[in-house]
Amino acid sequence: MSYFAFLAEHGSTLLLGTVTTLKVLICSMILYVIISMIFGLMRLSKNLVIQGIATVYIEFFRGTSLLVQLFWVYYVLPFFGLSLEAFVAGVMALGMNFGAYGAEIVRGGILAVPKGQWEAAHALNFSSAKRIKRIIIPQIFPIILPPAANLTVELLKATALVALVTVVDLTFEAKQINAITWLSAQCFGTALLIYYIIARFGLVPFLRWLEILAARKVGRGKA
Amino acid sequence: MSRLIKLFTVLLVLLFSISSVSAKTLTERLADGHKLRLGFGTAVPWAYAGDNGEALGFVNMIALTVLEEMGITEHETKVFEWSGLIPGINANRSDMVTGGMYILKSRCENMNFSDPIGVFGDAMLVPKGNPKNINNYQDVIDTGAKLVTGTGFNTVEAAKKYGVPDSQMLLVEGEVGILAAMKAGRADAAVQTFFGAKEHEAKTDGKFEVTDPKLMPKETLNVVGIGFRKTDVKFRDEFNKALAKVMANPAKMLERAGKYGYDKAQLPPPSMSTEWACSTK
Amino acid sequence: MEMGWRWDFAYEILPKMLLATFNTIIAAGVGYAIALVVGLFFLLGQRTPFKIINFINREIVEFIRSTPLLIQLFFVYFVLPQFGITLSAWVCGMMTIGLHFGTYLSEVYRGALEGVSKTQWEACRALNFSTIYTYRRIVLPQAFPIAIPGMGNYLLGIFKDTPLLSTIGVAELFHAATAVGGYNYRYLEPYTMVGIIFLILSVPAAMWVRKLERTVNVAQGKTKQ
Repeated sequence: MSYFAFLAEHGSTLLLGTVTTLKVLICSMILYVIISMIFGLMRLSKNLVIQGIATVYIEFFRGTSLLVQLFWVYYVLPFFGLSLEAFVAGVMALGMNFGAYGAEIVRGGILAVPKGQWEAAHALNFSSAKRIKRIIIPQIFPIILPPAANLTVELLKATALVALVTVVDLTFEAKQINAITWLSAQCFGTALLIYYIIARFGLVPFLRWLEILAARKVGRGKA
Repeated sequence: MSRLIKLFTVLLVLLFSISSVSAKTLTERLADGHKLRLGFGTAVPWAYAGDNGEALGFVNMIALTVLEEMGITEHETKVFEWSGLIPGINANRSDMVTGGMYILKSRCENMNFSDPIGVFGDAMLVPKGNPKNINNYQDVIDTGAKLVTGTGFNTVEAAKKYGVPDSQMLLVEGEVGILAAMKAGRADAAVQTFFGAKEHEAKTDGKFEVTDPKLMPKETLNVVGIGFRKTDVKFRDEFNKALAKVMANPAKMLERAGKYGYDKAQLPPPSMSTEWACSTK
Repeated sequence: MEMGWRWDFAYEILPKMLLATFNTIIAAGVGYAIALVVGLFFLLGQRTPFKIINFINREIVEFIRSTPLLIQLFFVYFVLPQFGITLSAWVCGMMTIGLHFGTYLSEVYRGALEGVSKTQWEACRALNFSTIYTYRRIVLPQAFPIAIPGMGNYLLGIFKDTPLLSTIGVAELFHAATAVGGYNYRYLEPYTMVGIIFLILSVPAAMWVRKLERTVNVAQGKTKQ
């Protein structure tokens, strides 16, 4: 069977899977950004309890394998009373895992804001919350976006794992096609191509655009 | 900052409320309007998913025929890794296991089975000509051959029971893994269901052949049942009633399942009941 | 099926899990060793003056880095035999991990080399040192400490990605847990134990890498002691 014949017959199935992959990607991206922000800030709190909780969370999720976390959320969590839909379980595991890595990036970003900014805000009588919200956070974006971009590409690759817990995404469809037709090179090769295209021509340009936007907002962008 | 925390909390609450564990039985869930979820692995021709996720394979066909008899026409399909089928149904990930699971004592402890839908045997898949002359577990032990089978398959228990050492066993993921291992020469023989082996023989244009299932130990003849959660006793009983009706007039069922190779020879004899299998297998 | 945690089952499967942990460590180690070497190749490809090799190298690295390791594993495992190259699942796994992480390591190497101040290179040229001598005595000793944190982090990354090997049948820890869980129809204890074992192994290792990072930064004068 020629490659074109393969695409004609199985292309639509793979594309349907791709749609699910994108849904998983977007949802887990939103979740991981929120978690990164929250835990990154918590990690810098003066309150030892809050800092402790954040540290434990980050160490835990960075110290265990994503696949193990995913299977645990899907198969074991129901016995503790929480049975989430496969899609939701996948998004949760991905978001929580990558949120831990993102939290460190956010922390690094906040620490990298010049001390002068903190002092000026304090001198101008800004409340602590307002200082963080209005002055510091907007300035971390140009700093954290490059490492965050890398992390987000990692997230796209990690979404492939949800196929192992019954989510019908691109990887799942590729596996199915392989199981029935044994056209391994075609199905897995095409899957690789699709992921590559999403990453190289979708994600990376989008993130680069965000970087430029952030730099401009902070006044560091090109005129 | 506090707004973020509020948003996060709302998200969590939403997640919890949308899909918390339902303490309802299957019958109640169906009455509420939830669709029945069929759980199976990828095991051609037993049960597998089509391009649009449709349920294919003879076990699915039999199950769907019985469900129609019960008046249930809608369903969803979920494809699991084989070893995740039973943990999956117990974690409320599916409502019926139609993988084509043999009724075994160890499985009965974790899942209820319907009455048998058929009797099947195991066989070995070997390279054409059977160069090492392997026809059953004893041959594997004697020749020191590498035997491949799927994680969670009944054959894992059987191989252990007949004394195949762990060092000679290769465990892979499902039927696909088995054929991949054989094709790549990573194992000398595969042990699986007779139907699964026949499917692999056909798929590889005779590069491999199926050994005679009668040469396998007699106890490997097994009955297959549909799996249910232990708490769904009512549904299982109703399923059995409908199954009995279908078995009494099997023409329609044989026609649908026959497309996948199931025929009259598989119809279960009354002597091999679920209770018998749960206590002896 | 009992829903509560069963200690007797946990003790029963512990020996198997610990044995499989050895396999995981070996798999991570071998994969990492291969990645270290592959990284060098990609680095050379990147630094060569031949534009065409540069281009091909860059495209290959980008492709491997942008696509999931899981699919790469399936590809190598299922496709190679169809072209007559039959390798055991272990070798497939090690090769793919080595290739995949080699691309990351080449970036680490690159960053480390670029981190060596340009004046060092110029001084070497002024003093008429041969290229090999330059690398061996001046550049690499300075680049190495810069690379260590990145290299350490990727070793941990490989370790945490070894469960993916179970999908192609490599008998490491996660595979053992699935096999045992499938055999006994209980995933609670096996998967929880896998998680705990990973925690026990990787958290101290991560702290050690971070300590290394701090030491390197101090030595480089980037942070106060």
